[in-house]
Amino acid sequence: MEFWRYGEDGVRIVFGNTIDLEVSELIRKYYFFLKSLRLEEIIDIIPSFTSCLIHYDSRRISFSDFLSLLKKRMENIDAVCLPEPRTHKIPVRYGGEYGPDMEFVCSYAGLTEAEVIEIHTSTVYTVFAIGFLPGFPYMGILDKRIYTPRLETPRLKVPEGSVGLAQLQTGIYPFESPAGWRIIGKTRVRLFDAGKEPHSLLRMGDTVRFMAV
Amino acid sequence: MIEIINPGWCSIVVDRGRYGYADAGIPTSAALDYFSYSMANHLVGNEMGGPVLEVTGSAFSLRFDVDVTCAVTGAEVIAYLDERPVTPWRSFAARAGNTLRVKEVLEGFRYYIGFSGIMEVDRVINSFSTNIECRFGGYMGRPLLKGDKIGLRHAKVIGERFIPEDALPSLSPPYVLRILEGPEMGRFTEETVGRLIEGGVQSWYTVSAKANRTGIRLEGKPLVFKKGVNKTIISEGVLPGTIQVPGDGLPIITLYERTIGGYARLALIVKADHDLLAQLKPKDKVIFRIIGIEEAERLWNRKVEHFYRALPQ
Repeated sequence: MEFWRYGEDGVRIVFGNTIDLEVSELIRKYYFFLKSLRLEEIIDIIPSFTSCLIHYDSRRISFSDFLSLLKKRMENIDAVCLPEPRTHKIPVRYGGEYGPDMEFVCSYAGLTEAEVIEIHTSTVYTVFAIGFLPGFPYMGILDKRIYTPRLETPRLKVPEGSVGLAQLQTGIYPFESPAGWRIIGKTRVRLFDAGKEPHSLLRMGDTVRFMAV
Repeated sequence: MIEIINPGWCSIVVDRGRYGYADAGIPTSAALDYFSYSMANHLVGNEMGGPVLEVTGSAFSLRFDVDVTCAVTGAEVIAYLDERPVTPWRSFAARAGNTLRVKEVLEGFRYYIGFSGIMEVDRVINSFSTNIECRFGGYMGRPLLKGDKIGLRHAKVIGERFIPEDALPSLSPPYVLRILEGPEMGRFTEETVGRLIEGGVQSWYTVSAKANRTGIRLEGKPLVFKKGVNKTIISEGVLPGTIQVPGDGLPIITLYERTIGGYARLALIVKADHDLLAQLKPKDKVIFRIIGIEEAERLWNRKVEHFYRALPQ
């Protein structure tokens, strides 16, 4: 674990430098531990693939005192009660009008559409982070056979529910938005609800399996 | 009640924003210019944290059907209440039937309009701020349109208040934006970082037309990555004011609508200069200058003192 300052109000705690399930599990543990402390000095915690970024309240505490506080509290991390990861099945309509990049993914991979779908639906993905947009899950790890680079120029708009690939990740756009990932399908599952808690259907550590419909 | 006659380019309901939900990807969507936003509330005698309108562009107008005290803050504007000129940063009483018109924005980009009383808008996830992309909060989760009517509860006329002239922000480009080193600054060449330390002509950028509440894209001399380094990062958390640099070397200033980013985070705009970001308009020139954390903290403390000095007595 390395501690870095991020601007005036941020602390970035780095756990690794690759997309890795073990690193992610360490981050998940630390994130739920920090959350359970309900420290009034913490405004927000953003866990992701390799780090936890903490937005702390610099009106309440100085950076150095905050670091000491974090380090001291770490002693009790093993007492944390981690929520059980949930498993979600997400139905997807692949290709055609639902997946404008399916053709590209097939030709890039040298596979047929049926093979791409077979590969995408046969992996159990882990949610590594939620962010970018509310409820957007960054999931991995994608089978190398369907590794796909991002679009050079992002699309200005993809519809809500679009399922995309980027390198070894897969994700779902909860809202119509600009998108740099390659879209291969669409789901009707609602990933975010501003009207009720928890707002995000998925949370870090959950697993997802896609089903072709 | 107020009725929107012309919403300008974009007008939305904002407050100080949503906090505590970034782990679900929920951004703050806060008022971009916190000082101007807060003063719009203070001038009309509202509590800090109440909703106000954030308007971009000229030609905005609205009609009142109640007597209510209002105030306009932020960008330098020419505004009228019917035929009478309105002085920005000073509260004024509007009467039922009056029309408030903003004719011109002389300098800056966004202005704020506050009303004495409570705007009847949606509070979603602890905030009145509009999340435009996700369509929640504020007025039906969207920018205002011609004909929209916003209820005002407890609308009232109060005594005049103003912000002292010496407390007003000065808006005159080129703007100097002070920055702190970001996590990936080491991926850029010494020459590129040197330019930012010097803060000279070589670190001038122009605000592009691609500037909105999510981010401000800049144009100018591309920032150069060292040979062989990765130009993207494994997606990671970002805070408002983070300068991200895509592969083309042209910086993007991340504002208040994103929690995670995937480009190299060259630097962060110091907090003392965040309000200014709201006022950058396309074609404005900005100059980056790297400073140290101690200086950034001093600037912030000065800004906070300034804030309290400006409050009407």
